[in-house]
Amino acid sequence: MGEFSGLVAAALVPGMPQLLADRPAPSWADLRVGVERVGQIFLDAGVDTVLMLSTQWFTVLGHQFQLDPNPRGQRVDENWYAYDYGRISYDLRIDTELTEHWADLTAARGMQARRTRYDGFPIDTGTGTCWALLDPGRRFRLALVSCNLYAEFAAIAALGETGVAAARRVGRRVGVVVVTGLSSGLIQRWIEPAEDAIAEPAQDSWNRRMLGALVHGEVEEALSLRDGFAREAGADSQFRALAFLHGAGVLAAPAELLGYGPIWGTGAAVLSWAAETPRSGRES
Amino acid sequence: MSRVFRLEPGRGARRAETGDGSALGAPRAQGVVVAGYLAPHPPHLIYADNPPQNEPSSTGGWEVLRWAYEDVRRRVRALAPDVLVVHAPHWITMVGHHVNCVPRPRGLSVEPIFPHLFRYHYDFRTDVELAEAMVRQFEASGLVTRAMREPEVRVDYATIGALHMVNPRWDIPVVSISANNNPYFYAEAELGQMEVLGRATREAIERTGRRAVLLASNSLSHLHFDRENELPEDMAREYPYSNDQYRADMRLLETVRRKPSSALRTAIPEHIAASEAETKSGSLTWLLAALDWPDVTGDVLGYGTIIGTGNAVVEWRPNRGADDG
Repeated sequence: MGEFSGLVAAALVPGMPQLLADRPAPSWADLRVGVERVGQIFLDAGVDTVLMLSTQWFTVLGHQFQLDPNPRGQRVDENWYAYDYGRISYDLRIDTELTEHWADLTAARGMQARRTRYDGFPIDTGTGTCWALLDPGRRFRLALVSCNLYAEFAAIAALGETGVAAARRVGRRVGVVVVTGLSSGLIQRWIEPAEDAIAEPAQDSWNRRMLGALVHGEVEEALSLRDGFAREAGADSQFRALAFLHGAGVLAAPAELLGYGPIWGTGAAVLSWAAETPRSGRES
Repeated sequence: MSRVFRLEPGRGARRAETGDGSALGAPRAQGVVVAGYLAPHPPHLIYADNPPQNEPSSTGGWEVLRWAYEDVRRRVRALAPDVLVVHAPHWITMVGHHVNCVPRPRGLSVEPIFPHLFRYHYDFRTDVELAEAMVRQFEASGLVTRAMREPEVRVDYATIGALHMVNPRWDIPVVSISANNNPYFYAEAELGQMEVLGRATREAIERTGRRAVLLASNSLSHLHFDRENELPEDMAREYPYSNDQYRADMRLLETVRRKPSSALRTAIPEHIAASEAETKSGSLTWLLAALDWPDVTGDVLGYGTIIGTGNAVVEWRPNRGADDG
C-alpha cells in the first residue's frame, strides 16, 4: 500500500463485450488497447482497489453493494451469446472491508444501501468485459455498486463521494472506474465488424462535445451538457456515470482520451484521469 | 424432428405428434391461439407464493393478484393447451427478437435487482418445433431474429414469473420470446414491430397445429417507490405510486372491460404516455396482435400494486365456447 490513500486514478470505459472479440473492428481493438492501458496506469499509480459503477448492473430500488468476496463464473450474455465475445469468465476479488464502509457511509446519507451476497449472482457483461481487460492478472480488488436507473444526479454523485471517503477510511488507494457507453444508436441488425460506425452524425457530434469538455477539464461545461447529451444522443443510462465521477472528485483534472469509436453503432470511449496529487490522510 | 418435450397424456399430446414440423411448408391441422393473458411478473408474486423452487421465503402478501392467478390456472387447465408462449421484457435483447430454442432450460436464476426475493431453480421444456417455426416465421416477416440455443443463458425473472404463476407445475411446454429493447438507453419497443411479431407468432402456431395460450409478461403503470420496506411483504405500505398512475390504469382497464380489443390500439400508447407503463416493452401489443385484436372485451381477473406499480391479470378469449378444451 502506498503512503496516501483515497483517489489516485480514474477511468471511463465501455461495457460492450465486442472489446473481447477475436476478430475485432478497428475501433473495438483501439478501445481494448485503451482499457488495457488503464490497467497499466492503475498499476503504476499503486491502486489497491478499483471502485466501480457499471451501467449494466442496473437496479431500481436503492443502491446495491456487492459483498460476495469472490464472485466467479461465466457470463453468457443474453444478446451476444452467439459470438466468441458473448462468453465472459470472471473471478473477482471483492474488497469487502471497503465495501462495507461504503455501504455504511451511503446509508448515513439517508440513502438505501443494500448488501448483495448470493451464490449464482449474475455479474453483468460490462463489469466482466472491463475486468477481463483492465486486470487480467487479478492484481486489484474491486468494490462494486449498482446503477439505479431512477436515481437523481445527486444520489449517484453521493455514491462516488462516499466510495472515495470509504477508501480513505480503510487506507486504500483507489482507481475509480465507470463502465458506460456514450450515444445509443445501436445498429438493429447483425453486422460484420468492418461495418461498424457511429449510427448518426449528430450523435457523433454530441459524443465529441462531451469528450472535449472532459479532456479539457471543463467540469461545468460537461455537467451542463449532460441533459442534452442524454436526450439528444440517448446516452447510456442518461450518462449517470458522469455523476459518479463528479462525486468522486475526478472531473476537476483534464482527462486523457485513450480511445473513441463505435461499438455496434453506439459511441464508446476510454478516458483516463491521473489524480494530480494523491489525496492524503485517512479519515479518523 | 424428434420429440424433445414430454406432454401430459391427452389431446395436447395427440396434436403435438402430428404434422410435418415445417413452419413455412404446407400447414397441417390448423393451430389456434385459444386465449391470451396479461400476466405480470414482479418477483414479489413468486416470493409471496413460497414455491419450493425459490430459495427465499416470505409470509405471503399480494394475495388478490395471486388469487387472480389461481383463477388463471384453473382456466388454463380447462383450455388444455399444447404450449404456453410468453413474451417477457426482462430477457432484454439489444439486437433483434430472440426465441429460446433450448430443449430443456435448467438452472438457477438469481435476479440482479431483487436477489433477496428471487433465486429460482427452473427446469422446464421448450416446444422446440414451434420455437424453430417461430424463428423462421419472424425472419420471413422481415424481423431481425435469432434462435437462442445456449443452455447457459440465464432465464430471466419476467419469463419465469409469468410462467410459474400461470402453471406452477411446469407441465406444459413453453416457447419464450425476448424483448427487443434496451433500458440502458432510452429505447422502447416499436409497437408497430410488435404487431408484426404478434402476427408472425400466430402464423407459426397455426402452421404447426398447436393449441396455444399466450402470456404477455407486463405490469401496467410502472413508476414505483425507490426504497424497499424492511419487510418486503408489508402490505400496510403497498399502495399506488400516485393517484394519477392509478387513474391511468383504471382508464385502460375500463377500456379492456367495456370495449373490443381493437380500442386498445390507441389506448395502450396513451396509457404508456400517462404512466410509463411497462407495456412499452411491447408484450401486450404482441399478445393482442397474435390474437388478431379480437372483437371481444377482456376479463379483468385482478388488480393490485407491487412496490407502487400497477398490475392486472386479464384474459382475452377470442372464441369463448368454441375453443373450450
